Amino acid sequence: MQLTEKVLNEMNEVIDDCLADEPPYCQARCPLDIDVQGYITLIRDGKYKEAIRLIREKTIFPGVLGRVCAHPCEEECKRGELEEALSIKNLKRFAADMADDPADWDLSRKAETGKKVAVIGAGPSGAVAAYHLQKEGHQVSIYEKLPEVGGMLRFGIPAYRLPHDIIDYEYSILDKLGVETHLNTEVGKDIEFAQLKEDFDAVYVAAGAHKGIMIPIDGADLDGVLIGADFLRDAALGNEVEMGKKIVVIGGGNVAMDVARTAWRLGAEEINVACLESGNQIPAHSWEIEDAEEEGIIMNPGWGPKEIMGEDKVEGISFKKCEQVFDNEGNFNPAYCEETIRELEADTVIFAIGQRAEDSFVEAEDVELNETDEITLQSETENVFVGGDCKGTPLLAVEAMSHGRKAAISIDRYLKDEDLFENRENEGAYESKLEKEIDPEEPVRRRVDMRMIDVEERKNNFDEVELGFNIAEAKGEALRCLECECKECIKDCLMLEKYCDSPKALFQEVKDVGIDPLVYYSCNMCSQCTLVCPKEFELKDRFMDLRKLAVKENNGESPIKGHKAIKWHQRLGFSKFFTTSQPASDKEEDSK
Amino acid sequence: MKAKTKTKRVFIPGCSLSSYNPELVEKTIKYLKNKLPGTGAILKCCGKPTKALGQYDEFKERYAGLQKEIDALGADEIIVACQSCYLTMSASSPEQNVRSLWALMPEIGMPEGTVGKAKDSDITFGVHDSCSTRDRDDIHEGIRWIIEQLGYNTEEPPHTKGDTRCCGFGGMVVPANPDLAQQIMEKRTDEFETDYLVTYCAACRASMYKGGKKAVHILDLIFGDVWTSESDFPDLEGSVASWVNRYKTKKKIQEVLS
Repeated sequence: MQLTEKVLNEMNEVIDDCLADEPPYCQARCPLDIDVQGYITLIRDGKYKEAIRLIREKTIFPGVLGRVCAHPCEEECKRGELEEALSIKNLKRFAADMADDPADWDLSRKAETGKKVAVIGAGPSGAVAAYHLQKEGHQVSIYEKLPEVGGMLRFGIPAYRLPHDIIDYEYSILDKLGVETHLNTEVGKDIEFAQLKEDFDAVYVAAGAHKGIMIPIDGADLDGVLIGADFLRDAALGNEVEMGKKIVVIGGGNVAMDVARTAWRLGAEEINVACLESGNQIPAHSWEIEDAEEEGIIMNPGWGPKEIMGEDKVEGISFKKCEQVFDNEGNFNPAYCEETIRELEADTVIFAIGQRAEDSFVEAEDVELNETDEITLQSETENVFVGGDCKGTPLLAVEAMSHGRKAAISIDRYLKDEDLFENRENEGAYESKLEKEIDPEEPVRRRVDMRMIDVEERKNNFDEVELGFNIAEAKGEALRCLECECKECIKDCLMLEKYCDSPKALFQEVKDVGIDPLVYYSCNMCSQCTLVCPKEFELKDRFMDLRKLAVKENNGESPIKGHKAIKWHQRLGFSKFFTTSQPASDKEEDSK
Repeated sequence: MKAKTKTKRVFIPGCSLSSYNPELVEKTIKYLKNKLPGTGAILKCCGKPTKALGQYDEFKERYAGLQKEIDALGADEIIVACQSCYLTMSASSPEQNVRSLWALMPEIGMPEGTVGKAKDSDITFGVHDSCSTRDRDDIHEGIRWIIEQLGYNTEEPPHTKGDTRCCGFGGMVVPANPDLAQQIMEKRTDEFETDYLVTYCAACRASMYKGGKKAVHILDLIFGDVWTSESDFPDLEGSVASWVNRYKTKKKIQEVLS
């Protein structure tokens, strides 16, 4: 069928703006674009193998993310407007617990390209980049300063939240694919950055931010003042940690909670956490604080460190009341009441107020870690790419992984001499255009809590605290999914339901290959679709456009066999025998 | 000899009502003649079926034929009893004021002897609105006013008035895709608890019947006997019977307006 420009334009509007293929809120918010709704409905249906396969299409870390992902998806979950968001993270872990099997892993690789890529850092970002690049047929070598893989997954996140065997298990896919990992190899010391740049076709710098920040207050040089990042790393490595019994942790982020809970496990007896922020300004996630408090950690919000007291060793710390953390412009600009002072007795003070990247290894190079391109992660030096925490902004694990994928796409294109900027709009998180409304009859279903080991049993060990969902819990939780999508017209119209997946797909088909005229001659022209469409598309007009064109191409007649009778009806309906035209009459009428 | 009253307005009953029941057309014209002297009538198709098929050239030709008749009578107002006629004529006869009989009746009053006649009926009628005039609140309100005046109990389905569902007949789908049309009819009738439905379109009535309900046209309620669970409800008229009815309607119109 020859479509006219006008008809085509109207049709293209539907093809472009119909929301049928718009992802649900959770998936759009996921930096890795994981098909959350897909795996949740598979779990609901008991199809665990399929669920884990679907998750693995987008991440090699289902067990890691299923434990420690900060789940930004849950913040967007529509169910949150009703009672509480779905427990998406925990369902991911359930799928991994139930059905992940290395025998099912996709270890296929594209043909060897002969290109070599170096990745600096075996953290989540480097690992994901290495995985994708190796799959593309390049040969990847990872250089890791520390003696084990995992980066902050292992040396930042304590093992009671993310057991080390889970990390090793999921990292093993890199070995299986042939990625070469060089542990205990520090770039800038054991091997020069310039060397990597020369020996490899491209370099991905994903060295993380391991250098803890200190504030130069009085007493910061006393014995017993520690840095959180070093403290957690030593704990993860099993090194001896010189720590007393009364601990004060400075900082209000998730790392501060990890430090406090780790200190508790290592035998500390009284643990105070002090931070500038109060209330919902505290940067740590609410559930991290809850878990810490459950273990007896004492939160002291709204206090800024003034002085660490002691002769040679820490004996205590004083705080001044913090009255403002951010100024009116939103800049970090704390203001204190110098008169309101508080002291805490302590033998150890641990700073957990932020970390930055160790960048001395690139100092001699044309590479500024925090000045790489946002879209491609490419640096001034064209074969060097930078991502993850070392790019300058602290990232969630899932965001660091997203950087890894982004860098891999860029590097692959760079190695193939392709455009680095094309089609990159929807990488990472974005906003879903869905306009889902919750059915007022949707029953309330309470979120399933994760079971944990008793607080008493957590002391003096790093056993995993969360126990994972059992089948009943997982299915119950999966049932809560509202399956957000826009299929309003399809749900409402039998004709659309019968002939298409969505108006978008249907009109694309009209454009590409044409459709059976019976489809557009099966529209009742009732506008019900328009009433329920968030975009208010007048589909009946689009079907009428097609009818008109069909008639034009069929000598003025409908191409539908059954419509032949109408021709005769019309002739009769206009014939003298069945028509009349009567003027008004003033003849008296008996009937009223 | 025809009387020489000026024809101010013309009642156009439409094809489907004429094919359904000539007596109802006859009684409607008598009622209008009584309430609104100067009302003529035309029995002729408006050509909407051709428009629905996409035959716009043919439609223009057909409608021009009808317009000629309207203009010849000199009417400046058209009263319709069919919602497709309402839309088609509103769009195609800019010189005439097009009115729905159902919105007009609350203004001119019920036919004598009809108010409260059904207050003892044991039937609750589900009201099925026509989808073509889903955005005409005056028609929805008029229909409910009429039924209330008569005294019948009513039931509103989940989708009603502006949100009504198609009966399945629209867009000439029945001859094109009868199986699908049947499913749509049943989907619509499933929305009602009551077994008895009232429509104000003869095609909708036939659809509701095919969907498994006992269904009447609102003119059946106004001019017919009081309907109870004991009544014989109309079924479907065959094609030949329809044309016979159409012919009878023509004769009735000529008789009443002679």
